[in-house]
Amino acid sequence: MNPEDLSIRPGAAEPIYRQIVEQLRRLIASKQLSSGESLPSVRDVAGQHAINPMTVSRAYGLLELEGLLERQRGKGMVVAASRRRLQTDDRRLEQLEPGLTDIVRQARELGLADRLVVERLKVLLEREK
Amino acid sequence: MGGSPLRCEGIFKRYDGNVVLNDVSLSLLPGAIFGLVGRNGAGKTTLIQILLGLLQADSGSAVVMDEPALAMTDASKRRLGYVPQQPETLGWMHVGDMLNFVGDFYPMWDQPYVEDCLKRWSIAPSRPLSKLSPGERQRIALIRALAIRPQLLVLDEPAAALDPVARRDLLRELALRAGESGTTVLFSTHIVSDLERVASHVACLHHHKMVLIAPMDDLKETHALLQVNSDMAEQLPGKLPGELSRRRRSDGGLSIIVVRDSGAVWPAPAGEAGVQFESPGLEDLIIELTS
Repeated sequence: MNPEDLSIRPGAAEPIYRQIVEQLRRLIASKQLSSGESLPSVRDVAGQHAINPMTVSRAYGLLELEGLLERQRGKGMVVAASRRRLQTDDRRLEQLEPGLTDIVRQARELGLADRLVVERLKVLLEREK
Repeated sequence: MGGSPLRCEGIFKRYDGNVVLNDVSLSLLPGAIFGLVGRNGAGKTTLIQILLGLLQADSGSAVVMDEPALAMTDASKRRLGYVPQQPETLGWMHVGDMLNFVGDFYPMWDQPYVEDCLKRWSIAPSRPLSKLSPGERQRIALIRALAIRPQLLVLDEPAAALDPVARRDLLRELALRAGESGTTVLFSTHIVSDLERVASHVACLHHHKMVLIAPMDDLKETHALLQVNSDMAEQLPGKLPGELSRRRRSDGGLSIIVVRDSGAVWPAPAGEAGVQFESPGLEDLIIELTS
């Protein structure tokens, strides 16, 4: 993968670190990036797009926590083996917890029936498949 | 050490009876790249000059590397890189001679870096400074400021004289050179997309007051724009929790910027009919805050 394969849009509503996280997640999920493949260095990505290296580090760090990337000596960041990725489902779900709790609270505030919220979530999940 | 490399508190400044800065406080974290935005005349340059001790405030304090800005020692000055809006030039000198001359005063001067930059940006050392374009002059000023390996780098509108390609070069230089060596940076700009690329923090000066200071990454997640239609606007109580700005639109509705702690819920009207909820880009956010 080359640094220019990432697209960075400063004007977007998403912060830049999140844009990087989302793109890499998609590329890995769709196997366009396969296990063991090296990612461009933080410096190369920051240099290519003239962005703050700490932003790139933060994105890589989050993906590492999710188990999608791992640090390999001499090779830098690589896409993790998929078995390891499966093992970390629970941990990844844990990271959704704050967002889900937030939604639950808001649903209560709005007085929405549980059934409606769950159905809506299913629709959204289906749409992003 | 370990404290903030650049900070000020409660700065007031008047020129000819007009308030230029009204109770402005700012504190940079070590290693941060701090972007200062604001419309022309908001007081950005005055604030920078006060922070660096080039100008005296009417009241308040400014501290640079743990020394009062107005009484900085030479040792601190040698670790401070400053690029003013219009870099002064020793016009009669050649590029290479000027850089050698300046370099002699700085113990950490990085000559290989200077030569590498001049080569990369195709500026021959033999050229007289007076013959450089404004963009080239800006680059020389930046090379000079970065070559001293500053602990603190302050740039006043560094991108103003540059075309888009040169601007991108400058940002890259800032992000890589300063970002990686842990240099703390403060730069002012009115080009929001530049800010968004390289800054770790953003501060916004409006009507001589600081209206926003936030980490860049969290900014979009903790700020929202509520578009309230005119019917709903009538029923809206006073100030909403977390409300930063409110603007009456020409259709009678309201545009309101609200802030929340990350993870907390948005204020109540966010979910109601007649209220549209938007995540503003940085540019929209700054415009709402400064119009």
